[in-house]
Amino acid sequence: MRSEGHRVPIKGFIETSFIDWKGHLSSVIFTGGCNFRCPYCHNSDLVLRCREMEDIPLRHISSRLKKFRHWIDHIVITGGEPTIHKGLYRLIEGLKKQDMSVKLDTNGSNPEILKKLVADGMIDYVAMDVKGPLNGYPRWCGVEVDIEKIEKSIRFIMEGHIDYEFRMTIVPFLHKEKDIYDVARYMAGAKRFFVQEFRPKNTLDPSYMTIEPFSPDKLKEIRDNVARIIAEKDDATAL
Amino acid sequence: METTDLNLFVRTSEETLSDWSRDRIVHALQKETLIDEETAKDISIEVEQTIRKSGVKMVTAPLIRELVNAKLIEKGLETARKMHTRLGMPIYDVDSLILHPNKENANVPHGPEATNLTLAERIKKEYALLSVFSQDVADAHMNGDIHLHDLGFIDRPYCSGQSLEYIKRFGLNLPHSLSMAKPAKHPEVLLAHLIKFAAALQSNFAGAIGWDAINIFFAPYLEGMSDNDVKQLAQMLIFEFSQQAVARGGQAIFSDINLYWEVPKHFENTPAIGPGGTYTGRTYGEYEKEAQRFVWKLFEVYKEGDGAGRPFFFPKPIVHITEKFFRTEGWQDFLYHICDVASDKGNTYFVFDRGETAKISECCRLSFKLEERDLKDAKEPWRMRYCALQNVSLNLPRIAYMAKGDDTRLFDLLTDRFVLAVKAHKEKRSFLEKLLALGEDGPLSLLTMKQDDMPYLRFDLASHLIGMVGLNEMVQIHTGEELHSSTQALKFGLKIISHMNLLTEKIKRNEKIKVVLEQTPAESTSYRFARLDLRYFSPLSGRVVKGDIASGEIYYTNSTHLNVHAPMNPIERVTNEGKFHPLIEAGSISHIWLGEAQPTKEAIADFVIKTFRNTRNDQIAFSPEFTTCNRCHRTSRGLMDTCPYCHSKDVDGITRITGYFTKVSSWNKGKLGELKDRYRNEEYFGHMSYAINE
Repeated sequence: MRSEGHRVPIKGFIETSFIDWKGHLSSVIFTGGCNFRCPYCHNSDLVLRCREMEDIPLRHISSRLKKFRHWIDHIVITGGEPTIHKGLYRLIEGLKKQDMSVKLDTNGSNPEILKKLVADGMIDYVAMDVKGPLNGYPRWCGVEVDIEKIEKSIRFIMEGHIDYEFRMTIVPFLHKEKDIYDVARYMAGAKRFFVQEFRPKNTLDPSYMTIEPFSPDKLKEIRDNVARIIAEKDDATAL
Repeated sequence: METTDLNLFVRTSEETLSDWSRDRIVHALQKETLIDEETAKDISIEVEQTIRKSGVKMVTAPLIRELVNAKLIEKGLETARKMHTRLGMPIYDVDSLILHPNKENANVPHGPEATNLTLAERIKKEYALLSVFSQDVADAHMNGDIHLHDLGFIDRPYCSGQSLEYIKRFGLNLPHSLSMAKPAKHPEVLLAHLIKFAAALQSNFAGAIGWDAINIFFAPYLEGMSDNDVKQLAQMLIFEFSQQAVARGGQAIFSDINLYWEVPKHFENTPAIGPGGTYTGRTYGEYEKEAQRFVWKLFEVYKEGDGAGRPFFFPKPIVHITEKFFRTEGWQDFLYHICDVASDKGNTYFVFDRGETAKISECCRLSFKLEERDLKDAKEPWRMRYCALQNVSLNLPRIAYMAKGDDTRLFDLLTDRFVLAVKAHKEKRSFLEKLLALGEDGPLSLLTMKQDDMPYLRFDLASHLIGMVGLNEMVQIHTGEELHSSTQALKFGLKIISHMNLLTEKIKRNEKIKVVLEQTPAESTSYRFARLDLRYFSPLSGRVVKGDIASGEIYYTNSTHLNVHAPMNPIERVTNEGKFHPLIEAGSISHIWLGEAQPTKEAIADFVIKTFRNTRNDQIAFSPEFTTCNRCHRTSRGLMDTCPYCHSKDVDGITRITGYFTKVSSWNKGKLGELKDRYRNEEYFGHMSYAINE
């Protein structure tokens, strides 16, 4: 009964991904449900309509992973937001027993579970989405957010207990160019900080589908500037 | 009545106006056919009467010929009529040919040279069907049971693979050329010789011109050159091969270059030839570093792309992955390097030579395993010259329509078609033998030249290719399931190809000609077969052909490939498609369509290594899609209607059609249908709908 209640709702499974874990073929598990409502989110079904989506039985996933065991030993857990589920730890524990390296994608809203997973050697890589400068989080995420938790997660990850990356999806009109650089300055010294391009497809707030993404030239300019800022380790300032 | 009584002018094919002369008809009939003088005279009188009655003042020679043919038919002289046939084209067709591009082969640009090529091809095609092949073979081609590839090039062998050593040792000394060149002393000159020789070969072969281990054989010339100069040389090589309008009909030379990171075992102890065509006193094994420097630079050039950032269409770089590859220092960096190109530009072909087999690749996917005699030749690599004389494909779905679910009938028909294809091969073989026998004064003098102790074309080693189109649809018609839908369907497909494989063995034994299976590229054949079957086997075929019937963009799945549209884990695709590869001696490939996604080089490398280790797949290539802008001359990822840089609508899409990259605008309808259907592995490469940048 108890374990039923703590089961993580798995709503998507990609058997083989070439892009979710740099350097490796990986499988990807999507958990349903999210505590954020970012208007530009491209996985809105997982956020808003996850109850209507069928659960993928863990049995199925295990048997597929077994079938591809000579190909795949890296698995990515993404969402939604995986850390909102109490059963996450047990899910990952099960995967580790199958000799999988595990990467967790998170928005950083749950530093405690993150710390525990890292301390117990349950995850090998963490990728955290930074939505924008911390003082504007309600605007970027569409909900009230405990900023302290976000800050805690960032600091903990940057301590470098395990390999990591930060990433920010940049959205014209929502983010000003200055916002991007403010985040970059805050992240200065981070091992990896990726600037991701927003694509107006299948967004949570339908009005975002009319937004034209940054041009390839502009995007390159922004990325170059961000890379320069990130490299300036000593220049880190609070947001 | 004397012929001059008729007040009539004749426009002859010699561009002159002649007075009417009945004798000309008699003369032509006697020269070209076997009929007697009396009958010929009768016919000439009858034709004259017809013309007289019509009251025309001017007739053309072709018209008179057709009138004569009509009389031959009336008299039941069918053989004579055939011999008296005139080959040519209606003015309407010539007009549209001159004005509109050719869509049968996307490698042909549109221009006066291309038009010349097409016109010549049309006539040679008709000639081949009437005069080289027997009637049952020609009919089977016409009705789409089989497809005789490159009929327009009936007077040439199909494709050729060779070694740079031939030019290094003998220089450039081509029959009937105005000047001869001694063996090159400098790398740039060697490169020039290579390009010229490739062009000369292209005008003697219908298809691909391949070069074996080209970076190894260049190596002795590169010693002492700076990295910059080596890069320059790499750039020249790729630019020269990729430039259009150097070969026949303004086509680029359809060229492949085979590349190795290691010095392959069979060349390790081969004495190296250096500048001036003399032995350097060392073996190729000792030139590994130079060979590696060159292949590295070649891929740097591929990575950069052309002036507009587009991928180079030719030459196609084929990298051989062997056991020794993984034992050779620096393999990992090199693998990342070529995987980076695979992801970014798509050029790289990964060929897997597992175990101890040595292979040479020629055409899109045509490769030959080296046998004992070849390995002996590897000590004198200029001797390594291989060719295929012709390629014939079987329409597999057609057989399934006709078998109506009966297994025995299916295999009987398959055998019949196979035997017919072999007959076609024998006919082409004896035709080519006739041309080659004319030697130095014949049309194929280049192939008969003897720089060493044998003619350039080693006829005794020549292969004959038999390909297949639409195994997937054949299995679908016969079993109700496509290859990817069940294990039984896949097994049945394997049974078909095993049967074909056995037939090749039988033919080799009994007929003493080397018939091998090949995955036909079938750029236009899969469209042609689908169209013909839609005509002859409706309504059943309507449910089977792939693509969109309403728009006419229809096709059969190429060779033994799985449905291109079916969502499928790429691991399962390379594994299951790979099960067919060991049965197809002349080589196979699996395509992984990337669309706009750009996976990391590390992940691709991981996939490549595991494909080598975990499957029997022969060869894989990753195919991205591009949009290139004709206004701002920049290239972006994905197929789009407008340029994301300057928003111009004047754009071209670029991706792989079969085995090579071209502009989508030049594709035939069948291939366009396939392009729309291609499952681009979005789930596997592209679900994160934004690019990552480090």
